[in-house]
Amino acid sequence: MEYTNSAHKPSFWEKFSVERIKVELLRTAYGQSMTFLSRFDPRIMIAWYSFFAIVPWFIHNKAVLLGLLLAVAVLTYSSKPSVLVLIVLAIGLISDAAYMLIVSLMFGGGLAAAWALSTLTLKLLVITLASIAVFSSMDPERLSDGLLSIGAPAQFSFGVAYGFRMLPILIEEYNNILYSYRLRGKSPDKKGFLGWRMLVYSFKLSVVAFYPLILNTAKRTRTTVEALEIKGFTYAMHDPKVKKLKLSYLKIRRRDIVFLALSALYIAAVFYVGSFFDA
Amino acid sequence: MTSSVQAEHNQSIIIDVQDVSFRYPGAESNSLSEVNLQIKRGDFVAIIGSNGSGKSTLCKCLNGLIPTYYTGDFAGKVVVNGVDTSQASIAELSKHVAYVFQDFENQLVRPTVFDELAFAPLNFGYEDYKERALQALHMLDMAELKQRWIWQLSGGQKHMTALAAAMALDPEIIIVDEPVAQLDPAHAKLIYDKLALLNERHGKTIIVIEHHTEFIADYCKSVVLLDRGGKVRWTRPTQQALSSVAELTELHIQPPQVTQAFAALHADSRSGNGLYPVTIEQAVEQLQPLLAHRGHRPMSEQHQDHDERHTAHLPYQDNGAQLTAHASCLDHDERHQARPLHPSTNESAQRDNQSRAGREPLVHVEAATSGYQSIERNMSPTLKGIDLAIYPGERVALIGNNGAGKSTLLRLIAGIRKPWSGAVTVCGQDTRKVTPEQLSDVVSFIFQNPEEMFIADHIRADIEFFLKARKQSNTEPFIEHILQTFHLTELQQRDGRLLSGGQQRRATLAIGMAMKPTIMLLDEPTASLDIVSRREMTQLFDELQDHVQAIIVATHDMQLVADWATRVIVMHEGTIIMDTTSADVFQHPQLLDKAALVPPQIVQLSHALKLPSAALSVNQFVEQFRDKEEQDGIYQLSAQA
Repeated sequence: MEYTNSAHKPSFWEKFSVERIKVELLRTAYGQSMTFLSRFDPRIMIAWYSFFAIVPWFIHNKAVLLGLLLAVAVLTYSSKPSVLVLIVLAIGLISDAAYMLIVSLMFGGGLAAAWALSTLTLKLLVITLASIAVFSSMDPERLSDGLLSIGAPAQFSFGVAYGFRMLPILIEEYNNILYSYRLRGKSPDKKGFLGWRMLVYSFKLSVVAFYPLILNTAKRTRTTVEALEIKGFTYAMHDPKVKKLKLSYLKIRRRDIVFLALSALYIAAVFYVGSFFDA
Repeated sequence: MTSSVQAEHNQSIIIDVQDVSFRYPGAESNSLSEVNLQIKRGDFVAIIGSNGSGKSTLCKCLNGLIPTYYTGDFAGKVVVNGVDTSQASIAELSKHVAYVFQDFENQLVRPTVFDELAFAPLNFGYEDYKERALQALHMLDMAELKQRWIWQLSGGQKHMTALAAAMALDPEIIIVDEPVAQLDPAHAKLIYDKLALLNERHGKTIIVIEHHTEFIADYCKSVVLLDRGGKVRWTRPTQQALSSVAELTELHIQPPQVTQAFAALHADSRSGNGLYPVTIEQAVEQLQPLLAHRGHRPMSEQHQDHDERHTAHLPYQDNGAQLTAHASCLDHDERHQARPLHPSTNESAQRDNQSRAGREPLVHVEAATSGYQSIERNMSPTLKGIDLAIYPGERVALIGNNGAGKSTLLRLIAGIRKPWSGAVTVCGQDTRKVTPEQLSDVVSFIFQNPEEMFIADHIRADIEFFLKARKQSNTEPFIEHILQTFHLTELQQRDGRLLSGGQQRRATLAIGMAMKPTIMLLDEPTASLDIVSRREMTQLFDELQDHVQAIIVATHDMQLVADWATRVIVMHEGTIIMDTTSADVFQHPQLLDKAALVPPQIVQLSHALKLPSAALSVNQFVEQFRDKEEQDGIYQLSAQA
């Protein structure tokens, strides 16, 4: 196709359009079927993730945190995450670091205090990168089945998969509702200092547009509920056989065990090395 | 099984509704009253009736949602494939009855096609749930969709997935609620072809709720007519049912155009057994003997009357050239003939050219390319270098199949999408340099889905929104006038979402009009409307004409194109393949075929009869015959009246 790629380079602002966000979200959810992490059983991934989401909170040793960070950074890179997600992460981190610096300077703590506070930033970084690595490698289906198999209620695990199924529709609708406001509304005549009036206007629209969206969603749910009834969803919830049948494809293989073992070894090594640096 | 037993089996009753009445909880009157209905195994039944006649309610009685899920006042008994619905669970009944909802998109609950198909068999704990899903895929010949994500599918493919998912339990009965209303004509035909396949090859019993009688004529075997208040008026074989033209029209159901034409011409004679042709094939078949007879007759003899049936033939006039004449007749009793058709094409085209001369276009699209980003991050264009100028006074219909780029073009003109390359100028403003808010002073854009336009608490507030945002004072009389014009005065305090389909469309038109636009853009304004609401919309379009300089409508509704548009733009795969008048557009069957468009039935009949200029409406068709009658005085039966 002669038009593909060559014709158009999206401008910076186009990258932040609602439509673009939709594409990126879908990519994050469904796009990566073959990454390093996607090969493992979802239950293993959930276990692995639980460690990286919880344990960093209790670690105060910077060296250990850096070691963990290195591991999750490599894994995040291997899962080819969406640029948009990384940008959001970067914005969060930069503002976080800047705020700590300002606070510590204002209260006379100096750079030493900022250095101490940066431990928190490090923890957050480990946890977010781990989340990105896991969730962009695992499609919602596998996540949902994984949750079901570790005992989450059927409604909950179904809800995870259904939420992702609805996501593109909802984003599309949200976008159109937003345009409904714009096509009938009026943007401020004066943009104000640094365009603050425009910012306030845009922010206000993006919030009020949720209201019609929620009402429309409530309306469409009626058919969905009837359809679930017809498709035997309630029937299945009381039948343990169905759960077994549904999850029969999930198998913990040797590579899952190897991955967990290697992770454990690495973590042990990091803690051992880290202990030399701790005061 | 011996053939006689099989015949008996085929003739057995699969659905037996006995004295069923139902009232929804909290409703003031019955939705169904003492319904008695038997449907035979292997039948293909259409349920028709005006809005509020309980068509969907009846179908929900068949799959057990009533009385098990909706606990209203239920009386009577429904037996489906030997199962009493009041004794069985909904889940149990779904092994006998498949149901495709009108808003079928909300019925799909899984991310991929295969998951969706396997969902129900899995829930019922069938070990072979994967095989069942595959079998359903196979039954509908849609194997290529197996691994697709639901959100990647077109509307027609989604509908097919919903149907296949219901088929995965291999039920004997399939109920489809208004397939044509939500799909474009090409996809609607596809769905009906699949249903016919299931009916013929797999012996399934099919029930459709349908407003579009052309589809009923082509596919269904019998018709059930429901009256207001949920009473069965009659059940008849299709041809007999659709020939009851007066009765159907009275109930706001529009019989096929072919049938209307034949009925209008027969109105005075009341001859025959009261059966009219309902499909184009039947109509042509009735006319064929004469056509074949005429086929090899020399032109010079055409005025001579060799026929003992006293038919006369006139040469047709088109662009000054004499073309082969085709006489047409209506049935064995009397013969009618098409008169020379006045090609309105040239006339209106000339007028257009005059009006355009020396005028500035309102909309100027120059080599515009635009599109969407695919999930692979490719920029895939839906419009490829479009050039277009729209002038004041034009009523433009944009037609083409799904994905042809109609909506994208409208969005470019509304300024909510900017061209990747090229330029779009609207009333002298380059859309890349102004915001959609600024452009909305001259353009109003009516979305395809009305619910996306209801952003205020009630429709009056929705209509006022634009003027209030611009802090205009003394808008009261103007708003009142708009409400009146669009028959919304009574409804003004209601939430738009809670209105009926027709009311919602009217409300969105009112919202657009209250913006006092120069240009109005409408995306599928007549989609999923019943006949009455459709007619109402077309009348309101005439109302718009007095206030708006140009209207551009993207539509699948070929009747709207024929009745309303002055200019028709046919789009295909992101390019404009034809730009012409509504009279001319239907003269290009190959082109329409390429764009997957189906002309109105009366136009198709004109083509089948090889008329040089197609009639655009039943009235035109009938008039042509009537005029001929007066000229020749040969149709004594009708002439006496």
